[in-house]
Amino acid sequence: MTYPALEGIGLTRRFGGFIALDSVSIALRPGEIRGLIGPNGAGKSTLMDVLSGRTGKSASGRVSLFGHDITELPARQRRRAGLARSFQKTNIFPDLTVAAQIGLASRAAETNNAAEVIDAMELSALAGQRAADISYGDQRRVDVALALVGRPRVLLLDEPAAGLSMAESLNLALLLRDLAARWQVTVLIVEHDMEVIFSICSHLTVLHLGRILASGPPEEVRAMPEVITAYLGSSAA
Amino acid sequence: MLIQILNGLVYGGLLYVLAVGLVLIFGLRRVVNFAHGSLFMIGAYVGYTVTAVAGFWAGLIASVCVLTAIGAALDRFVFRPLQDEDPIVTMLVTFGLLLVLEDAARTIWGKEFLTVQPPAILSGVVHLAGTSFPVYRLAVIGAAILVAGGLSLWLRFSRVGLYVRASSVDPLTTGMQGVDTDRLSAMVVAIGAGLAGLSGTISAPLVALSPSMGGSILIDSFVVVVTGGLGSFTGAFIAAMVIGQLHNLGVVFVPAAASMIPLVLMVLVLIWRPGGLVKAGA
Amino acid sequence: MIRIAVFLIAGAAGALLPNLFGSPLLLTLLTQAVISAILATGVGFLVRQNGLVSFGHAGFFGLGAYIVALSATNAWMPIGATLVVAILAPTVLALLLGAAMLRLGGVAFSMLTLAVAQAFYELALRWRSLANGDDGIAAQLPDRILGLDISVFQQAGSMFVVCWIVLVLVLFGLSVLIASPFGTLTLAIRENEERARFIGYGTIVPRAAIYALSAAIAALAGVLFALYNGFVTPNVLYWGLSGEALVMAVVGGTRAVWGPALGALLFFLLKNAAGDLTDHWPAIIGGTLIVVTVLLPRGASGTIAMLMQRMGVRTA
Repeated sequence: MTYPALEGIGLTRRFGGFIALDSVSIALRPGEIRGLIGPNGAGKSTLMDVLSGRTGKSASGRVSLFGHDITELPARQRRRAGLARSFQKTNIFPDLTVAAQIGLASRAAETNNAAEVIDAMELSALAGQRAADISYGDQRRVDVALALVGRPRVLLLDEPAAGLSMAESLNLALLLRDLAARWQVTVLIVEHDMEVIFSICSHLTVLHLGRILASGPPEEVRAMPEVITAYLGSSAA
Repeated sequence: MLIQILNGLVYGGLLYVLAVGLVLIFGLRRVVNFAHGSLFMIGAYVGYTVTAVAGFWAGLIASVCVLTAIGAALDRFVFRPLQDEDPIVTMLVTFGLLLVLEDAARTIWGKEFLTVQPPAILSGVVHLAGTSFPVYRLAVIGAAILVAGGLSLWLRFSRVGLYVRASSVDPLTTGMQGVDTDRLSAMVVAIGAGLAGLSGTISAPLVALSPSMGGSILIDSFVVVVTGGLGSFTGAFIAAMVIGQLHNLGVVFVPAAASMIPLVLMVLVLIWRPGGLVKAGA
Repeated sequence: MIRIAVFLIAGAAGALLPNLFGSPLLLTLLTQAVISAILATGVGFLVRQNGLVSFGHAGFFGLGAYIVALSATNAWMPIGATLVVAILAPTVLALLLGAAMLRLGGVAFSMLTLAVAQAFYELALRWRSLANGDDGIAAQLPDRILGLDISVFQQAGSMFVVCWIVLVLVLFGLSVLIASPFGTLTLAIRENEERARFIGYGTIVPRAAIYALSAAIAALAGVLFALYNGFVTPNVLYWGLSGEALVMAVVGGTRAVWGPALGALLFFLLKNAAGDLTDHWPAIIGGTLIVVTVLLPRGASGTIAMLMQRMGVRTA
């Protein structure tokens, strides 16, 4: 049998009395681009944090990568095992040049594809500039580029298009879809922009109040009444 | 043996009263007051000067009042203007203050060691388990228990205490709840400084006063605060008691290396529990 | 290549200085200034590369100085080995302490740097049988050190050149390190420790390594101090000295590697100008620290760089 690219079983995370994530199980097929959607506070970012090892030992449940249990590994070792992530709130190195920080990530991944990533993310013209000095949209692409270096096997993208214009978002989404296909990266993407989600995802998972509400192909999920009430309903109304 | 334990309690008690002021200030301002040992030292000297004129009790009250006022000024003119800066800036400034205050004390009171007599009512010794123990030292233990008890009641049951504890965990939420953080913080820093003055004055009859007397107890109180878990009142209490005992045993058995013992303990605790003994706010 | 040339010129220029100034008093002052400049460089490098402030670098400086004095006087080791141990022991200590203390965040780390140094101060003060307490130790140094006559190290004219060359080599080494991948990594960790972990780096070991390196530089300064003065007292471990080093680093600014060394020079000019006021030297240091921290956060080197930028000169 083939293992899921990334699998979480019974993931739970509490903040005091509040349960942000309530025994969530999720499995990504190798090569798929999975969209993770849900209203604000549904637990999407928390799930990303638990999967990527940001939460440390304060979460329970198991996480495995291609059948290897990585629950006990800290974030940096998960990254070295091939699980990379980007961040919702831009999380880069403002004082380093674009090329320097992508090169740094490339050395950590023990690969030599910094130039390839800079090129693929359309950052070549900015390579010599300090990250603090480039536009917000470019910084978002640097954030994603830091995760893409070394061609990770699984990529977690937390709202990569947050704050971008509609054209920029779609451009980034298509760029990511092509790269994922070319490098055989399995992707889990959190995104509020439904246009982005429907244009690149083959499968959707809906989180609501810390639980999985629905999962399936985008058209089916979009049609489910409970999803419409919980999530789409609020914006459709 | 009993005597050793009691002496450990005396030092632990003084240490707690000093360290809890640091915890209070850290809780609200997220900075560490490097001049806290100097406040302790000034407290002792103010106590000395007033005691010489008007007796020990007047000295104690005067010292707490003066230091409370200094604390309020410290918050108004140092912590508040610098609250949006990196904590490093405030630490550098309070460290500069430490050097200035030490020099000021040297100028005012001189370099020579000074001594303070305990009040008549607390002089003499009591007989315990076949040996004698100074009454004054018992009174110091009592005072530390009173401060610890009073503070924990205040933190647990008063409105202000609740905010202080909430702020130690998360300064943002307190701000959002519409609390006047500036007033609260002026009050808390004043209390912290007042406690340093109290601690300095009550330790004056036990030690020789010198401008650098705040040094070693400041270091021990830093170790107490970090070992206890930065921002934790319970942790600071436990750590103060343990380090009080260890300090005393060290002074008796390995006087040369006594200063190293708290550090070794701290490193061991940090390896065992990297965040310190107890979580902040508890 | 340009970097090597700049440092070669700087080294040669300094070596010529003693011939220009005949005044022995000035040379003594300059030699002390250069030793302090090395200490301040260690303190400033920690700020620049780790974003951390040490209030206890006198601990490493003094430890280096005491090891030289104690080992030479009690004939523990040959002088060559002594010099190596005097630099290595504080370095290893810093590495181990750093690994334990760096998990705590900047505020607690700063508190503990002060605590550690002050504990060594108390140790030197109390352990009279070893360190002779407040009176200090007059080191009985051998006649020849590293093939040079002892007088080379103890006369201001020649010692100035030795210290100057050491300072230039330290600055050169640091500027090479900053440009290396390890320099980029540590800078990245200073800027954003979390993201550094998420691109696959452990962060404690590199930070501890920088701390250890800055301690090694401080110890090196302490060794030079002990050789030059031949005499150490607990004051070399006291927080007043840590404060002086911080003032130099803050006055000079830490953004440029050479900032703290410039700060040390300015500091000694100030000290010379203070004259009779030196009775209140600690208060002057404290006051300067407060004023410069609040009013000139970039320090002298940062201000110079800013002015040059305004005038259209690009700096590296």
